[in-house]
Amino acid sequence: MTKWRLMSLSAIVVLLASILTGCFGGAKKESSNSDDPAANSDIDDPARVIRTIEILTRPQSSAPDEYETANIIAEAMRQLGLSVELKVSPWEQLSDIVWYQRDQWDMTGWQMAARPERLDPDEFTYNLFHSANAEDGYNFVGYQNKELDSIIEKQRVTLDKDERQKLIFEAQKIVAQDVPYFFNVHPTLNYVYNNEVFEEQSIVDMAGLGIKNFWTFINAEPKGSQKDFILNSSDTIQAVNPLYISGSVDSWITELIWDRLMRVGEDGLPKPWAAEKVEWLSDTEVKITLRPGMKWHDGKPVTPEDVKFSFEAPMSGEVPMYKPFVEIIKNIEIVDDKTLIFTLNAPWAAFETASLAKINIIPKHIWEPIINDLKNKPENAESYQEKVPVGSGPFKFANWKMSEEIVLEANKEHFAAPKVDRWIARIIPNMEAALGMIQNGEINFLATYTGDAQLLKQKVDASPNLAMVSSVDIGFRFFAPNLRRAPFDDVAFRRAIASAIDRDMLVAVVWKGFAVPGDSVISPALEFWKNPQLDYPSGGIEEAKRILKDAGYQWDKNGRLLYPEGKTEQLGK
Amino acid sequence: MHKKWKFMISKVLQMIFTLWAIATILFFLFRLMPGNPLAAYIDPTFTKEQQEILLQQFGLDKPLWQQYFIYFGNLLQGELGNSFFFKEPVIKIIWNVLPNTIYLMLSSLIIAYVIGTLGGVILAWKRGTKTETVGIVLTLFTRSAPQFWVGMVVLAIFSFKLNWFPSAGASPAGIVYDSEIEKLLSPQFYKHLLLPSLTLAVYLLGLPLLLMRSNMMDVMNEAYVDMARMRGLKEWRIMLKYAARNAALPVITAMAVGIGYAIGGNVVIETVFSWPGLGRLLVDAVTSSDYPLAQGAFILIAAVMVFMNLVADLLYSLLDPRVSVRR
Amino acid sequence: MKSEEMTSIRNRAYKNKNLFSACIQQLLAFLRFFKQDKFCMIGAIIYVIFIILAVFAPVIAPYDPHEMQKKDGQILFNQPPSKEHLLGTTNMGRDIFSQLIYGIQPALVVGFSAAFFVVVVGTLVGLLAGYFRGWIDTLLMRMTDIAFGIPFEPFVIVLVAFLGPSVWNIVLAMALLLWRDTARVIRSQVLTVRERSFVEAAKVSGASHLRIIFFHIAPNILPLSFLYGSLAVGWAILTEAAVSFLGFGDPTVISWGYMLHDAYVSQALSRGAFYWFVPPGLCIMLAVMAGFFIGRGTEEILYPRLKKH
Repeated sequence: MTKWRLMSLSAIVVLLASILTGCFGGAKKESSNSDDPAANSDIDDPARVIRTIEILTRPQSSAPDEYETANIIAEAMRQLGLSVELKVSPWEQLSDIVWYQRDQWDMTGWQMAARPERLDPDEFTYNLFHSANAEDGYNFVGYQNKELDSIIEKQRVTLDKDERQKLIFEAQKIVAQDVPYFFNVHPTLNYVYNNEVFEEQSIVDMAGLGIKNFWTFINAEPKGSQKDFILNSSDTIQAVNPLYISGSVDSWITELIWDRLMRVGEDGLPKPWAAEKVEWLSDTEVKITLRPGMKWHDGKPVTPEDVKFSFEAPMSGEVPMYKPFVEIIKNIEIVDDKTLIFTLNAPWAAFETASLAKINIIPKHIWEPIINDLKNKPENAESYQEKVPVGSGPFKFANWKMSEEIVLEANKEHFAAPKVDRWIARIIPNMEAALGMIQNGEINFLATYTGDAQLLKQKVDASPNLAMVSSVDIGFRFFAPNLRRAPFDDVAFRRAIASAIDRDMLVAVVWKGFAVPGDSVISPALEFWKNPQLDYPSGGIEEAKRILKDAGYQWDKNGRLLYPEGKTEQLGK
Repeated sequence: MHKKWKFMISKVLQMIFTLWAIATILFFLFRLMPGNPLAAYIDPTFTKEQQEILLQQFGLDKPLWQQYFIYFGNLLQGELGNSFFFKEPVIKIIWNVLPNTIYLMLSSLIIAYVIGTLGGVILAWKRGTKTETVGIVLTLFTRSAPQFWVGMVVLAIFSFKLNWFPSAGASPAGIVYDSEIEKLLSPQFYKHLLLPSLTLAVYLLGLPLLLMRSNMMDVMNEAYVDMARMRGLKEWRIMLKYAARNAALPVITAMAVGIGYAIGGNVVIETVFSWPGLGRLLVDAVTSSDYPLAQGAFILIAAVMVFMNLVADLLYSLLDPRVSVRR
Repeated sequence: MKSEEMTSIRNRAYKNKNLFSACIQQLLAFLRFFKQDKFCMIGAIIYVIFIILAVFAPVIAPYDPHEMQKKDGQILFNQPPSKEHLLGTTNMGRDIFSQLIYGIQPALVVGFSAAFFVVVVGTLVGLLAGYFRGWIDTLLMRMTDIAFGIPFEPFVIVLVAFLGPSVWNIVLAMALLLWRDTARVIRSQVLTVRERSFVEAAKVSGASHLRIIFFHIAPNILPLSFLYGSLAVGWAILTEAAVSFLGFGDPTVISWGYMLHDAYVSQALSRGAFYWFVPPGLCIMLAVMAGFFIGRGTEEILYPRLKKH
């Protein structure tokens, strides 16, 4: 019977398949332990063998560069005699482990994104390295350095720019010595726009942020019949809420719908915006004069009460994300119908950028009842989503089709009314589709592109109507060691690893040249603040082995890296 | 008659049981999975106290069995909770994207079943010839090719290269429709719908085609068809009037089951064509540990599947009276 | 012609009294039918070729699929097909042809593992439910209903997203659901077989339940099991490809699905790298079709009965 033939055949096939299972290891990656130049070791001390290091990274689909970098770093570490494994995890789970289980991970990929507020060096320096943030803040590597702490605190209150620069330079020097981070690169930000739709001069390039910024959005001048600014995003829009820092797309939208007292200008410095004048009366007192004639999108006028409310709301307990930026304010006094005086607890050099240019001005008549209502509920203001968000910014909320697109309309009554009619963000998870769409005109600004920059350049060069602008990011990519766990608590070990990571190769291979090697949290894009002479380890594998040897590390007879004498592996595996 | 009612009622009861069991499985699946259920809330300023508040807010601090009862109570009232990620009611979010999924699903099924049925008739007619062999092999091709692969190639050719169709979304940028009806009447909408539904239809048409063919071949052996032939009726008349009509009924039943399959499994098509539908929403919710949303979407899809299976069972029993008694 | 052949074959089957004589009979029938049945022969040949290529992959594949290929110190990104690299290289400089060859291994392993579970679990459930009837039947059939009610692809994704991206988690997820079709079909077949006289005879002569199930009934329904098993191979390979494509696959294993995912993420189509995107898809198609052919799955496919879907 035909079906019986099948059975016998299947039996043979199953047999062969089991052979396959045995051979299955052939396709799996094998880690190789090369031998050591300080070779011919005959030490055999299993207790000193360093455990298998686990590197956390995001998956290839969502973060191809991080994934490939992790592979390259792992390979470099293996050449030093370490056993390394990658642990691939989606962003939410990865950040959960890194953030909430601070002593459970060895090493992780991470990145700091470009935001206008980060043009002031305070944000990175303080949040990433001050010991106050080691337990539950951004200093998740657990870096504790009292000397650095005091320098950071000093620069916060140093109002003289040149003095402050010296301090920031010193801070960078200490970081480059201690290597709490394995810096990788500052990528170049590559954005593409359709120059048949927009006038070239109307596109604004900001150092460290590229052309995708607030100024381009309101300045872009349509040349022809297409009057809409259409860009792409690959992530869904989470919320349109001025009291919530939710995602990068969300922040572009918030910047457009709500105004702020100041804005970070095209030159990277804060300039008055909703405030007509900002005068410092003393180190801790600043007088704000509001611009006249500003109106909310629902027609009501913008008053000083609204401004006072906007800065006091985060102290209410319902707006946790903005609280750190207003904590320093002692008192807000309304002088008359267009003037306020802010009094601070202490001087803060970054106040204008970190607070006045960050807090969204929200309508008191809408949000006061909402916040009062929330005080009786467990939720906070982040869960509240206005049906039609009302702000006073250059764009008005028009329509939001979840998972598909959001449409903002130009607010022609605004003092800096946009030149385009509408700003539309399309949600496109398929990066190939996005690339196709900028080419065939379905979008006219490529705002999100996680793919190969080289390919992008080729496509742009081949299209007469596309222009690409590349600028060095103020953000950076790095891999973070967990300083709480040996051997990462040893400076020498960290310097060795940093040395072994070939950043030039990363630039060439992972970024195809569209990046610059990084050695500091301050990017070369911030010319004033970047310390150009840093002693960051970069000698390669040989240098790394030398550093290890000098610090007492040894290799066993199988080429595996051992702790220095007297130290053994305490942490499992 | 009495037996038939008994049968139907028992089927409905079975459906209710199945739904309950699935809801329970989902409850345990999401609560007991590894990973912190609050992982959706990574932000730099949350303190331990705030985490406690969130824990309470989402009821994650109560013992498991209590959570279960709250969960079921809510479910029966249609309350699916609030999404962790969007912080809005799950129902509202699903309701936003559900129409898109339904449009895609219905259009693919209609195209697939129309082409499939016709194809089945043709292949049955041409039985024994080379056309039949070629047709069968081609049909098997459509069932063996990965959907996303076909989708990407289709997208590359018809959208990127030829620029005949848009590459993403369910409507052109910035369009605001006054009502659903206006959307359904606009040709732009169909331009966006065509590629994804064709891709899905290609995969789906295999089943109705082969089912129709096999039913046709059975029917064609029946006596009344021979009678018609002896009466001198033309072959194509026989095909259409007698054979096809009777062979089509089971295909319609299969379509009911097809609706169940189609509503949940289109994640890849929605990703490739950036179609704002339920499949993508579900996957995004899963990856961001937004389990109220993931749970809600899952339950909805499962409910539709189970319901459609019930419909198919009932239809089948109507066609084949022997079945209702035996089972 | 075909339906008569089927009927006589079925009649012959029900005459089988035990596993052993059935096997002998089939081995003899094997040779006779093998030549006649073109579909099955083609499927078998495809699989044999795949298996040989998979077993000898390290010898046949010219390069290590993970290795970034260098020439004169430069990494060879995105090379079009050439003599040294038959299908060119990926965005990271890895040889595509080698990846294709090595990709056969996970395809076959996933396919056969899943098929194994489908056959074993589905047959057991169908056998027990159909034979014992009563409360066992109700219980098992309700479980089957539940399995039918859970959407397949989303479930696999949820499980893999939670348990971690490993090939075996994908197989587990498929094993938990795919047996449902087999169970239903086997059960209805068992319902028919158990009425046959030889089963009655066995009962009367005092054979235990287990003996009847495994020695009398099983031989007659196993062909159907293997049929669904061969279909399952196809479904499993397609599902693994879809899951990998979405990024939930096992990143340490280079499967065809992973290759397509890699190509997608590296914008292969925008580059015009059809040599990267098309071959893995074709291989998947071949493997799945061979599975359909080999089980005479064509029969089930060509003559599907409504309740089975």
